[in-house]
Amino acid sequence: MSNNMPTIYIDNQAVEVPDGATILDAARKLGIDIPALCWREGCEANTSCMACIVRVDGREALVPSCATRAVEGMRVESETAEIRRVRRTALELLLSDHLGDCMAPCHSACPAKMNIPKMIRQIASGQMRDAIETVKADIPLPAVLGRICPAPCEKGCRRAQHDSAVAICLLKRHVADVDLGSPEPYMPTRGELSGKKVAIVGAGPTGLAAAYYLIAASHECVILDDRPGPGGQLRYGVSEDALDRTVLDAEIDLIRRMGAELRPNVRVGRDVLLADLLRDNTAVFVATGATDETAAAELGLEWDGSAVRRDRKTYATPRDGVFAACPARQQKMAVRAVADGKSAAAAICQYLTGQPMTGTAKPFTVHIGKLESEEMSAFIASASSAERIAPDEPDGGFSSAQAVQECNRCLHCDCRCPDDCKLRIYSAAYGASASAYKTGRRTFEQHLHDHGVIYEPGKCIDCGLCTQITRRAGEKYGLAFVGRGFNVRVVVPMGKTLSEGLAKVAAECVAACPTGALTMREKT
Amino acid sequence: MADIDLTHVDKIIARIGPQRKGLIPILQAVQGHYRYLPPEALQRISQISEITPADIAGVSTFYDQFRHKPVGQHIVHVCIGTACHVKGAQQVLDSIIHQLEIPEGDDTDPSGRYTVQRVACMGCCTLAPVARIDDTTYGHLTPDSVEQMLSDFARQRAAGTRHPKRVALASDGKPLGEIRIGLGSCCQAGGSAHVQQALQDALARSGSPVSVKHVGCVGMCHQTPLVEVIRPDGKSTLYANVQAPDARRIVRRHFPPKGLLRRIGSTASQFVDNLLTDETWQPVTQLGIEVRDPPVAAFLDPQIHVATEHSGVMNPTDVDEYAARGGFEALRQCITKMSPDKVIEQVTASGCRGRGGAGFPTGPKWKIVRKVPGDLKYVVCNGDEGDPGAFMDRMLLESYPYRVVEGVIIGAYAVGASEGYFYIRAEYPLAVKRIREALDKCRQMGLLGKNILGTDFSLDLKIMEGAGAFVCGEETALLASIEGNRGMPRLRPPFPAEQGLWGKPTLVNNTETFAMIPWILRKGPEAFAGMGTEKSKGTKVFALAGKIRRGGLIEVPMGVTLRQIVEDIGGGIAGGKKFKAVQVGGPSGGCVPEHLADTPVDYDALKGVGAMMGSGGLVVLDEDDCMVDIARYFLSFTQDQSCGKCTFCRVGTHHMLDILTRLTEGTAVAADLDKLADLARSVKQGSLCGLGKTAPNPVLSTLEYFRDEYEAHVAGRCPAKSCKALITYSINDDCIGCTKCAQACPADAITFAPYEKHKIDPDKCVRCGGCKNICPVDAVDVE
Repeated sequence: MSNNMPTIYIDNQAVEVPDGATILDAARKLGIDIPALCWREGCEANTSCMACIVRVDGREALVPSCATRAVEGMRVESETAEIRRVRRTALELLLSDHLGDCMAPCHSACPAKMNIPKMIRQIASGQMRDAIETVKADIPLPAVLGRICPAPCEKGCRRAQHDSAVAICLLKRHVADVDLGSPEPYMPTRGELSGKKVAIVGAGPTGLAAAYYLIAASHECVILDDRPGPGGQLRYGVSEDALDRTVLDAEIDLIRRMGAELRPNVRVGRDVLLADLLRDNTAVFVATGATDETAAAELGLEWDGSAVRRDRKTYATPRDGVFAACPARQQKMAVRAVADGKSAAAAICQYLTGQPMTGTAKPFTVHIGKLESEEMSAFIASASSAERIAPDEPDGGFSSAQAVQECNRCLHCDCRCPDDCKLRIYSAAYGASASAYKTGRRTFEQHLHDHGVIYEPGKCIDCGLCTQITRRAGEKYGLAFVGRGFNVRVVVPMGKTLSEGLAKVAAECVAACPTGALTMREKT
Repeated sequence: MADIDLTHVDKIIARIGPQRKGLIPILQAVQGHYRYLPPEALQRISQISEITPADIAGVSTFYDQFRHKPVGQHIVHVCIGTACHVKGAQQVLDSIIHQLEIPEGDDTDPSGRYTVQRVACMGCCTLAPVARIDDTTYGHLTPDSVEQMLSDFARQRAAGTRHPKRVALASDGKPLGEIRIGLGSCCQAGGSAHVQQALQDALARSGSPVSVKHVGCVGMCHQTPLVEVIRPDGKSTLYANVQAPDARRIVRRHFPPKGLLRRIGSTASQFVDNLLTDETWQPVTQLGIEVRDPPVAAFLDPQIHVATEHSGVMNPTDVDEYAARGGFEALRQCITKMSPDKVIEQVTASGCRGRGGAGFPTGPKWKIVRKVPGDLKYVVCNGDEGDPGAFMDRMLLESYPYRVVEGVIIGAYAVGASEGYFYIRAEYPLAVKRIREALDKCRQMGLLGKNILGTDFSLDLKIMEGAGAFVCGEETALLASIEGNRGMPRLRPPFPAEQGLWGKPTLVNNTETFAMIPWILRKGPEAFAGMGTEKSKGTKVFALAGKIRRGGLIEVPMGVTLRQIVEDIGGGIAGGKKFKAVQVGGPSGGCVPEHLADTPVDYDALKGVGAMMGSGGLVVLDEDDCMVDIARYFLSFTQDQSCGKCTFCRVGTHHMLDILTRLTEGTAVAADLDKLADLARSVKQGSLCGLGKTAPNPVLSTLEYFRDEYEAHVAGRCPAKSCKALITYSINDDCIGCTKCAQACPADAITFAPYEKHKIDPDKCVRCGGCKNICPVDAVDVE
C-alpha cells in the first residue's frame, strides 16, 4: 500500500484511488452509479446539481461526492434511504424548473408510444427504411392502423394550437405503404432461436402484436383462432370500406413470414384445452377478447368482473405460465389493443428468460403543457407555414412529395436528447415526480446556431459545464451565467448570437450538456 | 441616445489596472461616473482590459449595486431590513411609489427625477423605517410622512449646502467646555448633522468658546440625536432626541451669550429665525436627562465595553486620542516583544470565538493559517454585515476604526500575512471613509507598510467595497468577490485558512472579532475568559431593534439571558404590547418565543433552541407581528440573495417562499405545511454553503413554536391581524367625521366627508394602519 494511494470504503466496499481523487472517482471505479449531472471528466467540479451527495462518517452534513477528496480510511455511505430521498428531492427540484417535453405530446398521447417526431424526421430526410423501423418498434400493423386509427396523437399535436395538427396518421400510413410495396418489406432481424414457444389464443390485433414482438425476440409463436381468417375485430368488426382487406392480409402475412404459425378454426376450451397448450408450449397468451364469465370459464380462467383475472402490469393470470390481455373491444381503439399486445410480449419475454417480472415501466417524461402565443411563434419560426394538406393519391394516401411537405409542418417540439439526458435517466431511476413542486413556469425560448446547435434555456439546469468549457477554450464571448439566485440564466454575453458565442467549442458543449438544453438540431 | 464619452472608462482602467481582480472596483467607478453601466462602457472595458465579456456580464448582473438602466436624478433607497420590515417598511415603500407615481413594473418616476430601490439593510435599525435619498437619511418614516420627507429633500437641495461657521475660543486659547454629539450613520439619520450645524451656529453667535466634539456611537440609538454637554467643572448633562431648535436653547442655557447686545441680538434673531424656517419635520420629545436616570442606567449599566471600549467618549477620527487611551499598545507589544506563536497562544487562551456568526475559535483558526507553509498570506476583515437588523460592525468601523485596524494588524502579524483587505459593504459609506482615513493615518505613523515599528514585519491593507450581495458575507464567496468574480461560495474543505485568496492561505475574521483583539492582549486573556459562559467567553455586541422601547447597540457579557436584554436593558415592548418572540441571528437564525427567553446568550444554548448567535442582530417581536409573515420575510430575503449555484438553495427556497406567500395570502392548504417542513429539511441538508443550510431556520423555528399561527393561515385567518390579504379595515359607528383618516390615507382609499361617517374602500386600502393610528376615537376596526 503506497502512501499516495488512499483507500476508502464506500458502502463497505474498499477501493484504492490516486491521491487527489474524489469520492465520486472512487465510486465510479467500484461501478457505483452516483448521479452527477453537473460533473464531467476533465472539468472542475461545479457542485451545482447536488445530486451526488453522500454521507461521510464523522461529518455532520451530507457532502457532494464530486468535490470531496478521498482521504485514507474514509467511510462513505451512498445508498441509504435518506440519501435516496435527498437525491430524489434534488431531481424533483430540478424538474420543477425544467421546461420541455422529453416525449412530444403526440408521442405521449400515442397509446403505443410510437416515436412520431423521429419518424417524421426520417421521412423528411428520405430515410424510409429507418422510418419503418422506427414505426414498427412500437406498432407492428401500421398500414392497418394508418387507415382506421382515430389518431389520438393528432389530438395532442402542438401544431393544432396554430392551425391544424400534422397529419401523423397519414404519414405513418405512407411509411407502411411504401414498405409493403417495396421488394423486401422490413422484418426485424432475429438472433438464434431461444427454443421457447408461446401459444397465442386469438389472432386479433392484440395477439398479432404479441406474436410480432415475441418472434422479434427470437421466440417461436403459434397463433390459434376460432375463426377461419386471422385479424379478429380487424376482419370481423371493421368494414371493408374502412379497411381494405388486401392491406390487412399483407400485414398479417408479414408476421407469418417472420415465423408465426397460424391455426384457424380452433376453439380453445373446446377443441384444445389450456392444459394441452401448456404442455406443448412454454407459455400461453390469451387474447381472445372474452367478454364474460362464461367465456373465461370455457378457457379455464377466472373472471374478475370486467376481464379475465390478470395482473395489470405483468399480464400473468393465477395459472402459472398463462397470460391474458384486456379484450380488444374494451380497448375501444385498435392501437390500444396493439399496445397491449406489445406490453404483454415484453412481460412474457421476462418470464421466458427467467428475469424478474416487472412488466414495462412507463417512460419518464415532463410536459410543457399549453404554449403561450409568443412561445408558439418561437416554434413556428423553424417550421413550414403551410396549411395541412389533403392527400392526393387515389387510394387516399400521401404521395412522397406530399409526405415530405407535411413533415415540414412538424414543430419538432420533442426534446432532441431523450436518451442521453441525465435528468431524465436519473429521474426515472429515483422515481422523481415532475409535478412534486409546481409553481409558475418560465417562457419557452429557443436559440439557433448556424451549425445546427439548439439552445433552449428552459431546459438548462445551471450546471456550469458549458461556461467552464467556453472559458477554458478562450471563446471570445462564450456562454456566461448572468443574474443571481433563481433568475440565474446562461446566455451569450453582450447580446451576441449563439453562433458568436460558440465559435470554437459548440460540439464539446453539446456533448457536455447533461440535459437537452444544448443539443444538435438534426439528431434523429 | 446620445453617444457617451468613453474616455472616462479609459481613465478608470488606467488607474485601477487591466487585471480581472479589478473588475468590481472598475464597475463601481464606471457607475460612479455615469450613474449606471452603459453597455458601450462595458464593451469598452472588455476591449482595453484583460477582462472578458463573459466576466463583465456575469459580475455586473450578480451584485445589487449595479444598474444597467439609467437612473433618475436622485436615488431613493428604502430599507427593507428586518427592523424596518416589522415597523412597516413595505407600507412606506408603497407610499413612496404612490407619491412619486411610479408606474407598475418600473422603478423611476415619469419625470425621471427619482429612482426607488429597495436595500437589504442600511444598518440604521433603531430609526426604522429608514430611507436614504442620495446622501440624506430619513428615519422613523410612516406612510403619511413620506410626502414631508420628499418636500424636505427637495427644499434642502434647493437651499444648497451650508458651511460650518468658526468656533470662538476663550482668551487663553482653550475652549470653555465641550459639547459632544454622536455622528454615526444612525445619528445622522436622526438629524444629528442638522443639530451639529445648529450647535455651531448658536455657539458662534453667542461667542462662547465651546468646542463641539464629535464622538463615536454611544449605542443609545433610541434616543438619538444625543447631545452631551460637559461644563468646565466636569459636570455633564445629557440631552436626547435633540433637534436643531433645541440646539440653540441648549447652548443658551449652558453658555449664555456675553454682553447685553449679543443677548438681545440673539433673542431677536432667534425669533426671526423661527418665523422663517420650519425645522420641525418630526414630533420633538425633548428630555434633559441625567446619565444616572433609571432608563439610561438600565440601558448602559449591564454593558461591558470591550469592542466598544471608551464608548461615547472618543472622537472616532482622532488617532492621538485613541493612542492616549491605550490604543496601539497591544500592537506595539505584539510586534516588538512577542512572537507570533505567543500571540496566538494568548488569543487561544482567551477563548474568543468568531463573532461573525459561526463562532469558530479564533486562536485555533489563527494557528491553522500560521502553520500552512507559504510566503504569501492574506488577512481579510469581513465587514460585509449583511444580516438585515444587524448594524454592530457598521458601528465598530465608524466609531472605532483604529481599534479594528489594530486588531487586523495583530492578526496579520500572528499568521504571517503581508497583504490584506477590509471588505466593507457599499451600503456603509461612512464606515468606508473612516477606515480609509484610519489606514492613511496608520501608514503615516509607520504602523502599516514596510518594516512596521522597525521590525521585519510588513503589511499593506486595502479596502474593497462590497457591491451588494448578502452571500458575500460567506467567506469563500467574499474571497471570490475580491478576486473579481461573482460571489459564489465553494465547497469547504479546503478552507480559506489553507487555500484562500488566489489559492493562498488567508485569515478571514469578522470585524467584531478583530475589535476584541487589542483589549484581549492589553488586559490579558484571563480577563476576557473570566467573562461569559463555559463555552462562550467574553462579550458580544448586539444590535437591539424591533418593537423594543430602547433600541440600540449594546455590548454584554455572554451568558446574559435574552429576557434580560429585552426587558431590563431594552425596557420591554414599546406601546404596552405583549412580548412575543425575539429573532436571533437574522435570516440564518430562529425565533425564540417568549417562554424560552431565559435562554442565555451562548453559542450552544441558542443552537439548542433552534436559533443561532449569528452576527448579533436581535429583532424583538410583539403580538402584532405575524410569525408566518416573519418567516416569509426572511425566506424572501434569502431567496433574493441566494447566489443560484446549488439546486437546493436556488430552487428549494423558491418553492418554500411560494408556500409561505400562499399562506400569507390565504391560498395555502393543509398539505402545504408538511411540504414546507420537508423541503426545509432537504434544503438544510443539501445546500452547498451556510446561506442555504441556514435559510430554512426561521421557517423551522416558527413552525415549531408557532404552528398554531400557520394552521390559522391555512384556515384563512391571521391571528396577529397583519397579513394584508387576510384582514380588512373598516370604520365603525364611533366615527365623528373629523376627516383625519382621509387626510392620512396614502392610497386615497377614504373619501373626504366632513361630519359624516367615513368609509374605507377595501379595493384601494393597502392595510397600512395609518388611519387606525391617527383616529382620535378609535373608530377603525381590523378584522
